[in-house]
Amino acid sequence: MTGRSLRLGAAGLAAAFLALGCGQRGGAPARERDGGERVHNIPSSGAAIAHVDSEQAARNATREPGALETVTAGPVAPWKGPGGKPFEVALRTADPTTALARKFGTITLQTSARARAPDLGQYPCTSCHLGRKITLAEKRIPDAHQNIKPQHPRQTGGACKTCHAPDNVELLALQSGERATLDHTYRVCAQCHFAQANAWAGGGHGKRLDGWQGRRVLMGCADCHDPHKPALERRIPFRAPVLARPRADDP
Amino acid sequence: MSDARLTDPAVDAADATLLQKRVDRRRALGILLGGAAVATQAAAACSPVAPLSDEEREVKLLAWREYIKGNYRFMTEAERAETIARLERIAKVKRGVDVRIQSTGAQPGVEFGYAFNISKCKGFRSCVQACINENNLDRRAATQYIRIFEMENGVVDLEEADATFQHEVPAEGHFYMGTQCFQCANPPCVKVCPVGATWQEPDGITVIDYDWCIGCRYCMAACPYWARRFNWSEPEVPVDQLNPNQHYLGNRARKTGVVEKCTFCIHRTRQGRLPACAEACPTGARVFGNLLDPDSEIRWVLANKKVFRLKEDLNTEPRFWYFTD
Repeated sequence: MTGRSLRLGAAGLAAAFLALGCGQRGGAPARERDGGERVHNIPSSGAAIAHVDSEQAARNATREPGALETVTAGPVAPWKGPGGKPFEVALRTADPTTALARKFGTITLQTSARARAPDLGQYPCTSCHLGRKITLAEKRIPDAHQNIKPQHPRQTGGACKTCHAPDNVELLALQSGERATLDHTYRVCAQCHFAQANAWAGGGHGKRLDGWQGRRVLMGCADCHDPHKPALERRIPFRAPVLARPRADDP
Repeated sequence: MSDARLTDPAVDAADATLLQKRVDRRRALGILLGGAAVATQAAAACSPVAPLSDEEREVKLLAWREYIKGNYRFMTEAERAETIARLERIAKVKRGVDVRIQSTGAQPGVEFGYAFNISKCKGFRSCVQACINENNLDRRAATQYIRIFEMENGVVDLEEADATFQHEVPAEGHFYMGTQCFQCANPPCVKVCPVGATWQEPDGITVIDYDWCIGCRYCMAACPYWARRFNWSEPEVPVDQLNPNQHYLGNRARKTGVVEKCTFCIHRTRQGRLPACAEACPTGARVFGNLLDPDSEIRWVLANKKVFRLKEDLNTEPRFWYFTD
């Protein structure tokens, strides 16, 4: 019982980093940042938040077509994109300007879970998991993974170690025995979801960041899907606000 | 009063050579009436009753020169630069905002195409929100270029579809299908325009010259997709929500009595960026790219997915495909 709980805890800690929206509800406190205008309590819905940032707008207007200003990316293996050309996947980063939100024009759209890592008080995993056995007292830390209620992969009876490396909390485990970092979740997901992975590589699934031209940088699987609960949550759709003030020429 | 700013080299040159060379009717009228108008204003400025401030006079003069300018399609580069400078100045004087209006042309070898995944769309309307913000749509009339239809599974029936749903989505047993301007390759709206105020650009975007449109709304009647919107009153956009990154043929300020429409965010896409709707979509249902590039995502979708177009039998050849997973 204890061993199983420990593994669950270790896996969950690593996964909290990936999770979209679970952390804040679960009580992992987001560190306060200066700059009050920045919204970092990202709703799990990924709702777009209207935001004015003229400085960013000016930067966007002057940059080269197709330039990717705020995205760090790494090459993807083993897929090829359209035309058999290699492409890149966006990486997580602790840099808040990159991680918190991608801004463009006069709006800020927070569609990415990359924002979560620097806000999670529990990341990196090794801040708790020091490579020794965790005592019972430490297990009672109230924030420790209470928020993770795995629903996936349910059908195949998956356990934590199906995806998480039992020997290293920072790594993911592939069925082949290989290890993948948290930046390469697509390698784990594609083991079952190969149709989606192929569409993702080709262009029919997922999101391309920033432009249709230039470098092709995609978001990774866990940027949109919470690995423990991959379906998007239902929500109330946006409704355009209407100015209530009457016009000068109204009767 | 900054006379230097108002000096319009083209008009001055035309003024000087009015008697020596051929001047088209529009320009000649403009020069003559413009002179009269300025004289009237100058007289009014001298009268003690209602003196015009320098700025008011400047706006009137700018508005007049805007009024007599030509169709954007037939302007020279110099004329385009002039009208853009005037429009930017008007925005500065009237609203106090520094807008930047592009006249970026189509890139060679580019024809835009759009694909919409009806399996993915969940009806969140994030695209609508982004579109409103990006294109400076009228907040008062709640103008929207995009409509998301909620339909029961199994049939594409736009007559039974609900575009005003406001409940938790996705609803059980329903799917969502977004429409906007499809940038048809055979656009009925362009054919019916009596004044040539709307046309198709080389990259496939159908655009409107808002200053040439007479507001007859024939194009709205002709469009089988209800993609065009009419400004019954001057669009109201709060200054702090105004997008200053604008295009002459796109999201610049519209006026009363003209038609507007989706331009695939012409000010963004011609710089290699995605339209705001595609960038905002949280589900990845929207795919945008260059149809002439065999390596683009849109071409991959067209080659590998089951696609259809809306009202294909009308021979409008939309550049907008729907597909399923």
